[in-house]
Amino acid sequence: MADSEEATRDPDTGFPPIDPNTLAQDLARIVGERNIRSRTAEMLPFSRDATPLYSAMPHVVVFPQNKVHVSAIAAYATTHVIPLVPRGAGTNLAAATVPIHGGIVMPMTAFRQIPSVDSAEQIAVVEPGVTTIELGAAAEAVGLMYPPDPGSRHTCTMGGNVATNAGGLRGLKYGVTGDYILGLEVVLPTGEVIRTGSPLKKDVASYDLTQLIVGSEGTLGIVTEITVRLVPKPEHEAIGIAYFSDLESAAATVSDVIAAGVVPSTLEFLDRTCIRVVEEYAHLGLDTDAGALLLFGDDGTIDMSESTTRRIEEMCRLNHARSITRAESVASADDLLAARRCALPALSRRAPVTILEDVGVPRSHLVEMVHRINDIASSHQIECAVFGHAGDGNLHPTLLVDPTEPGAETRVESVIADIFDAAIELGGTITGEHGIGIAKRRHQDRQLGDAQIALLRRVKHAFDPSGILNPGKLGS
Amino acid sequence: MNSKIGVFNPDELGACISCGYCLPACPTYRISGDESSSPRGRIALMRAIDSGVVGIDDPVAMEQSELCLGCRACEPVCPAGVKYGNLIEQWRDAAWKRKPVILTGLMLAVRRAWQIRLGAALSNHAHRSSGEGQDFLMLGCFERIIFPGVSRAAKATHPNLTVDPDQGCCGALHAHNGALATGEAMARQLGRNLPGTIVTTAGGCAAHLASVIGRERVVEYSEYAELNPPPMPLNPIERRGRIARIAIQDSCHLRNGLGVAQGIRPLIRQVGTLVDLETAHECCGAAGSYALLRPSDARLVLDPKLVEIAHRDLDILVVVNPGCHRHLAQQLKQELPNVEVMHLAEVIAEASDA
Repeated sequence: MADSEEATRDPDTGFPPIDPNTLAQDLARIVGERNIRSRTAEMLPFSRDATPLYSAMPHVVVFPQNKVHVSAIAAYATTHVIPLVPRGAGTNLAAATVPIHGGIVMPMTAFRQIPSVDSAEQIAVVEPGVTTIELGAAAEAVGLMYPPDPGSRHTCTMGGNVATNAGGLRGLKYGVTGDYILGLEVVLPTGEVIRTGSPLKKDVASYDLTQLIVGSEGTLGIVTEITVRLVPKPEHEAIGIAYFSDLESAAATVSDVIAAGVVPSTLEFLDRTCIRVVEEYAHLGLDTDAGALLLFGDDGTIDMSESTTRRIEEMCRLNHARSITRAESVASADDLLAARRCALPALSRRAPVTILEDVGVPRSHLVEMVHRINDIASSHQIECAVFGHAGDGNLHPTLLVDPTEPGAETRVESVIADIFDAAIELGGTITGEHGIGIAKRRHQDRQLGDAQIALLRRVKHAFDPSGILNPGKLGS
Repeated sequence: MNSKIGVFNPDELGACISCGYCLPACPTYRISGDESSSPRGRIALMRAIDSGVVGIDDPVAMEQSELCLGCRACEPVCPAGVKYGNLIEQWRDAAWKRKPVILTGLMLAVRRAWQIRLGAALSNHAHRSSGEGQDFLMLGCFERIIFPGVSRAAKATHPNLTVDPDQGCCGALHAHNGALATGEAMARQLGRNLPGTIVTTAGGCAAHLASVIGRERVVEYSEYAELNPPPMPLNPIERRGRIARIAIQDSCHLRNGLGVAQGIRPLIRQVGTLVDLETAHECCGAAGSYALLRPSDARLVLDPKLVEIAHRDLDILVVVNPGCHRHLAQQLKQELPNVEVMHLAEVIAEASDA
């Protein structure tokens, strides 16, 4: 790069200045005027996602209608060194879709076809704008199941699920998104289109680029087609609820279940605050006096799922559960799971700002982690509700904050840093399933170390030499 | 949140946490895939208007305030409890200063009770009559003119209802279209004119009226029929030599605003074969005056429902709101003439031979 060109770059962002009118006109030549949004009011929703406190305006929003558009947009962005931020439905919880350096935001919602569901091979091909629930319904229509089920599955898109390696409530038994991705069609930031992975059972002709792109948060390539593995739909699902006087007892039950080698399909917990807000929204008759709720259950054959569920009930009793009940029907089981998925947004009923964290620890340290989170929050006088995928060791401590309170911001920062330290000290992670985005980037080093961070940057550079794709996030 | 221009209730505007759970429930987002046309996107716009970043008369903002159906399908799916229906009314109240002529005309035509009586002079709606007790039948402003058979049917199935044609209009039309204060004043006046329990055959009116004079005084017809089964026996309705296959189109405001939907289904099971439409809970595109003002958008919203109806071998589509009644009757007459559109009261009246 010539020195003069280097000199015109913004010292903060590292990008050359952008003329929004030229940008919009050039992109309109690729996708047509009607697929461009360039006025402030129509770009506002794309300045943020589901993460509180982070927002930045793009210079233009473009809706590609096919992969030729995507390729041309990427090549254009690389040539002109303009940030390009792919976007699904904007339910991200780490500000990974916020265009921190402006540039182009590219929602992939026009890609909503499911070209094939092959029941014999148990494989489906989907476009990135298809929602998780739509893929689930298409699989179910032929007696199959797509297991990953993030909380926002009605809204979030498969492209976003791949980009974040989304988890969900079935993680313990079925794993996460990456466990179901067989192959991808990817547009590289430089415009070339590649296909990764293989439908073959054995194929080692490449690095495993599929799994490298899974969870890369839209920083390495833009996914335009996804080949997923499906599994037979279980014939039966049993769901139960146990109430405890405190979250530690629920966590101890979870550790016992895991230690006994039991692998249920559902093992989720909510603390008292979460139970109350969920009940307020869903009206399911939950015990709002309990200190914690454990939602558990299994799927499979009737014999297998019932026997697993009965074993967990027994362990709940040994850990002094106040009461244990069963969902009587499929509908009531669905209601309970749906209510659990609403825990985060429902918590917003309690405070002006809810800051959600996503730490993970080995399950043997679950009780210890719950204990430490409560200590940390109370020592900084921040109210903290806890829920999470207990069976995965994945906890969502959620800080309930009134930002107008003096010193709130500093105390929140301290709580988050202390919770991360505790997780790392216990052999865990600062993020189980939400990702790094902007929100956790400054905390990433302490988990990964310098050598690994440097490697991430080299990997990013190999894919994206101009550094245009979702800059300021993973690998930047 | 500091409201700079005082258009929005700050607590209601502050309640949204942008989780995006509302997106798939929104008909205009489903069609466009553009977050600007979603409840979360519109709330982002309202906030920008509130903080002065975007002008209240900004053309993009204005278009979004009009493209929204106001169906409130986003409310039941919102775990944070955002009152979107209130917010869109507040927005329109401040932004819609110059309304389309057709809308102004409609709103003026029903402003006074005597105007409605004049308009309905030739209409054969339920006549003035005193019933037993304190339950009054609401005739509706346009419903009594366009669908006079609905109030006749309601009176036939429930002869105890008192009918007073001088009742006026509840003002839902006004409240939904940027005249909030007028809409509320009209609801209060109707509440004074009918000093007891008000039984309405219009889902949209029920929700508006309940929000102003109190839920306890307003009973929608299906609720009323559930609580007070018609005195005469119900016989199955026949069409085309079989027991009629009947589906329901929910009223958005009745379902999303008042949470009334499930009670209608057992009533239909008593009089025919209930066909559960997957799209029953989704807006039909009528949305009050929307289908009149934006016919092509209304049609885009209706299309998936038409496709489903075409595949379900229906005889009757039951409605519980005059806006849906008009829009669906008109569209089905063109596209699927074998399907009759009937109000629930008319169906019950036919089944009871009342």
